[in-house]
Amino acid sequence: MRHCLLSLAAITLLGLTSCRDSKITTYRVPKEKSPAIAAAPAAAANAPGATMANTAVTTANGPGLTWTAPAQWTAKPTSAMRKGSYAITDDSGATADLSITAFPGDVGGDLANVNRWRGQIQLPPLAAAELASATNHIDVNGLHLTTVDFTGGSSTTPQRVLGAIIPVGNATWFFKLSGPAALVGREQAAFAAFLQTIRAPSATP
Amino acid sequence: MSDLIRQFRDFFVSLRLTVVLIALSILLIFAATLDQVNLGIWAVQQKYFHSLFVMWRIGDIPVPIFPGGYLIGGFLLINLIAAQVTRFKLTAKKSGIWLTHIGLILLLIGELLTGLWQEEFALRLDEGETKNFSESYRSNELAITDTTDPKFDDVVAIPEKFIARGDPIQQAKLPFRVVPKIYYPNASLSARDANTSGATTTLATTGIGLQATATPLPLTYKQNERNAPAAYIELAGPEGSIGTWLVSADPRFPPQSFEYAGRMWKIAFRFERSYKPYSLTLLKFSHDRYAGTEIPKNFSSRIRLNSPDGRDDREVLIYMNNPLRYAGLTFYQAGFENDDKTTILQVVRNPSWQLPYIACALMTLGLIIQFCIHLVAFIARRRPAPTAVA
Repeated sequence: MRHCLLSLAAITLLGLTSCRDSKITTYRVPKEKSPAIAAAPAAAANAPGATMANTAVTTANGPGLTWTAPAQWTAKPTSAMRKGSYAITDDSGATADLSITAFPGDVGGDLANVNRWRGQIQLPPLAAAELASATNHIDVNGLHLTTVDFTGGSSTTPQRVLGAIIPVGNATWFFKLSGPAALVGREQAAFAAFLQTIRAPSATP
Repeated sequence: MSDLIRQFRDFFVSLRLTVVLIALSILLIFAATLDQVNLGIWAVQQKYFHSLFVMWRIGDIPVPIFPGGYLIGGFLLINLIAAQVTRFKLTAKKSGIWLTHIGLILLLIGELLTGLWQEEFALRLDEGETKNFSESYRSNELAITDTTDPKFDDVVAIPEKFIARGDPIQQAKLPFRVVPKIYYPNASLSARDANTSGATTTLATTGIGLQATATPLPLTYKQNERNAPAAYIELAGPEGSIGTWLVSADPRFPPQSFEYAGRMWKIAFRFERSYKPYSLTLLKFSHDRYAGTEIPKNFSSRIRLNSPDGRDDREVLIYMNNPLRYAGLTFYQAGFENDDKTTILQVVRNPSWQLPYIACALMTLGLIIQFCIHLVAFIARRRPAPTAVA
């Protein structure tokens, strides 16, 4: 009886460890109501959506950058994530958003961050070789800025992103103006002037 | 009993085996924890715990270098059952130990069944969107769909491993053969300008592959990344090649349509789908924050659950630690994206999910009973014999 039990346990174990096998399947389903194209560009490979596990992001500590925002930009309260936040509204009520964030390290590198921004306005990702031609570089008050300008979104609601990535010590700062293409285009000169006001705490005017 | 059987029994009953197995488990867990930095949790589970042996690749040959979780766990299970059967008699005095050991056996069996049977899928829903399928986190499939019928789609789903194998595929429902030409387990996509003289050559003869190329990438094992395989697929009818398409499982890569033999078709590489006989609609996703901050307080999805037979048509609220359990599946609130307009539910099928609870309850009960038996015996021994009062 006891040997039977032992053998049974061993055989069950071996039987259970046999693999499941996948097969070619055919089936009929009602037509999808929404387009088959994945709706969420942020769900792209290597850039999954936010999850509860990664929502609380470590932001960069230490000395921060300072800047002077144009008068027409409305300051919004900062948060655990944002070092600075502004809303830009036009007469029609359209709103663009300027966010200033900082994180330790290089946050995956310029390519990953540029592609994350492109994904947000439904643009395909760039290959590493294409990064150089898609970015510009300017030096401001001793800081090295990598800037981008992308227009995407749909043909009816084009979206535009103006961004700057600034390595500061062991952290990386991100300045991103995003919103309707027309409004962001109107603010392009103001954004360029705004970037010129960014300085590190030790930099003297 | 012959000597061989006795030795066999003594080996499995031995307490020394238990100690060795526990020591091996500690080493296995230690090594797996360190390797998690390189492989991520899922790959580590597969390599160290959901395997009979931990394999090490020497060139192209996998060599077993350490017992894996199934082997150690299996031996522990046999060791425990064998010791229980041969050593302990079922008496009232030992009932606590029996219950505790049965609980432990159930826990080991439960873990084994979870490893073998558990399936995990993701259900991504935009607000207002209705879906009757969830998608795999890791597996992909090539879906060739006959879209001619105005109401229904006829789908032939070919798992990724058939594409990886590269052999031509003939399926009765398809009027053409599917010939995988090139397969990349992970690839990035880049734009290709066919008009410039320096444009990279492509195998694709039709579809998006004329404007885009796939470049192979090393496989990623990180928990927050997934591989996006790509392939060049040729479809060949009796009269010859119909065309070669570039397909990619990158979610931004749309399905491609074509016409053949008077019918409309769609070809797409996509996350493997698991269809349900009911549908879920996201009515509202809520991402509550603590006042004045961006710190998340609560995530919840208000869902309408609808089965076509009319048995179920109700609203449910899914939030942290409050999943929807329905038809053998559990829907957990797992994430969100798209500016809080899209919810991501984790859909888990684990037929043995109750076993750990039962096992823990049995072990707790067993330990309490054993403690009480000892306590009563101890008190009885300590109590002084009653003395006559003068």
